[in-house]
Amino acid sequence: MRGLLVFAALLATAASRETFVGNQVLRIVAADEADVEKVKELEELQDLQLDFWQEPGSPEVPIDVRVPFASLQAVKAFLEFNRIRYSILIDDVQMLVDEEATQMIRHHFMPQTLETFNYASYHTLEEIYEFMDLLVEANPNLVSKIQIGNTYEGRPIYVLKFSTGGTKRPAIWLDTGIHSREWITQASGVLFAKKILDGYGQDPSLTSILDKLDIFLEIVTNPDGFAFTHTKNRMWRKTRSVRAGSSCIGVDPNRNWDAGFGGAGSSSNPCSETYRGPFAHSESEVKAIVDFVKSHGNIKAFISIHSYTQLLLYPYGYTRTQAADHQELDQIAKAAVTALSSLYGTSYRYGSIITAIYQASGGTIDWTYNQGIKYSFTFELRDTGRYGFLLPANQIIPTAEETWLALMTIMEYTRDHPY
Amino acid sequence: GPERSRAGQAARVALHYLNYRQGSPSALRALGQVRKATLKAIPGIGHKYYLQFTTEDYKSSNTFYEHRSDVGTCLATVLYLKRKPRPAVNINCTYTKDQKQTREDDYSFYKKMRQQTKSIIGNEIPDNDGNIEPDLEPVWALAVAGSSYIMWEKSTENLGYFMAQVKNVKQWITKDDSTDFDYTVILHEIPTQEMISCHLRVIWIPGHPLKVKYFCLSENQSSESGEGSGIESGSTTGIFNEKEANF
Repeated sequence: MRGLLVFAALLATAASRETFVGNQVLRIVAADEADVEKVKELEELQDLQLDFWQEPGSPEVPIDVRVPFASLQAVKAFLEFNRIRYSILIDDVQMLVDEEATQMIRHHFMPQTLETFNYASYHTLEEIYEFMDLLVEANPNLVSKIQIGNTYEGRPIYVLKFSTGGTKRPAIWLDTGIHSREWITQASGVLFAKKILDGYGQDPSLTSILDKLDIFLEIVTNPDGFAFTHTKNRMWRKTRSVRAGSSCIGVDPNRNWDAGFGGAGSSSNPCSETYRGPFAHSESEVKAIVDFVKSHGNIKAFISIHSYTQLLLYPYGYTRTQAADHQELDQIAKAAVTALSSLYGTSYRYGSIITAIYQASGGTIDWTYNQGIKYSFTFELRDTGRYGFLLPANQIIPTAEETWLALMTIMEYTRDHPY
Repeated sequence: GPERSRAGQAARVALHYLNYRQGSPSALRALGQVRKATLKAIPGIGHKYYLQFTTEDYKSSNTFYEHRSDVGTCLATVLYLKRKPRPAVNINCTYTKDQKQTREDDYSFYKKMRQQTKSIIGNEIPDNDGNIEPDLEPVWALAVAGSSYIMWEKSTENLGYFMAQVKNVKQWITKDDSTDFDYTVILHEIPTQEMISCHLRVIWIPGHPLKVKYFCLSENQSSESGEGSGIESGSTTGIFNEKEANF
């Protein structure tokens, strides 16, 4: 008791501290009951402001205590005087607190890792671009990022390339987000990228696809529009290009392709949501893909993803003339929607664009098909109209998972039917 | 027969009419599958669709689409007239949902609204991420019922609609028995892809016809307005009293 009073007298009253600067966490090992009693006496001294993380109990069981800076010298002296063993578990609690706060902020605004990225929520352009870099970092042998051009407003347009080697192997192209308000598509694109990364070497079918073909994935096909949906108008569809003679902005990037360009099924009015643009490929977002496809020259399947209404479509949209391969495409589509619906029972219709949906001219897959890319498809993802473009985030993962089964069906078919 | 897309569009028109006439936020229906469709051209009059389709609960918001909640089958005819007004609809449906339950749900929503001393207000329902606050879900559903009138009126063989969002809502506190809401709703128009903003006033008492007034504005079209008192007949009478085709 005397020893305790002496040491208590050494103390300045610990001022109440708002931070944990200099605080330490000590781990005390009481050898016997006498030691335990001594530590309990220490606990009685309120002025020390000790914070026991692990209370004194039986001997041998570690006692953890956070000690404010002002009490450190006294406590250590007391323990040493009484020959009670201790070690320093944490030598600066504030640093730990700071780091945790930083981690929390970073986690909220930027994903740290592919594992902490929230796949069940919608993300901004910056977050998706950050995700793409993390993906490349995770396996640079498999994944690379290519810039294929710039948007009207000067943003870079990126495509992820998944390749196990070779030179200009036959390739599969996937794009999401060409219409910026169709948020389920970019969100699914992020998941497709993750699935390709994780699946190589794990999933036999995907591995065999990647051993023969390359996969190109453009997650944000309309970055200007996408940024606009986050900042100003959630329902923005088109690009953000400006032209003289009209106060209206933007061109429908799915009416701007050189396939039946200018025909029925698109508008000549710049203020229209289906404005075709002043000429085919006027939009840099479209031209970037056109140039890429032409210079690559070996793309065998092209899949462009939209929402909503749950459809799987093949050419043509601009004409009632049936595509030469319509029977084969119809069979592939049938198999793909069967696979899709096997997961949750989600039902899709399928057919040519013009019969299943409506006439549309200047569309992406009509152009790619006419370029000789036989397996050209468009998806319209969930739902059928209850939420439409505003699909709840809790449907992102189920939608991407079921769609992936359809994509695998098409990719497997492409692998097995070279042309 | 008609193209699948046309048949689906016609079925949706029939459901807009049904949802409006039923005036029940808890009993709204969405299109399931079109089972049968035939099309008859009536010279000088228009195109008449004969449809059989399944329906689903509008409000079922399953995370995983394991079992879409089928709530019954409908037989309907939809006559798109060459001249306006609205498509003429005849519709009969089975209903597998517990009607006592939906009446109770409607009534408890109604009671809650009548007990408000401060106006219910809301913005962006659903929000950007598709979320609807549970308390506001019936308010949203009432907007769907009211918007169904607009969508029925505006539909043609070539133009179809979905209700995309309630941009804002404000309740009028009234002394009479009705609940009364002012909405701005956004309609998604197909195939133009336009988003059309409509001001919508809905006056509702459960079990009574819905009263609707609306005014729509679109950048590319002239404005349109209309009023519905909930008792409009769907079909035109007179020379169109033909027997339903066997199909």
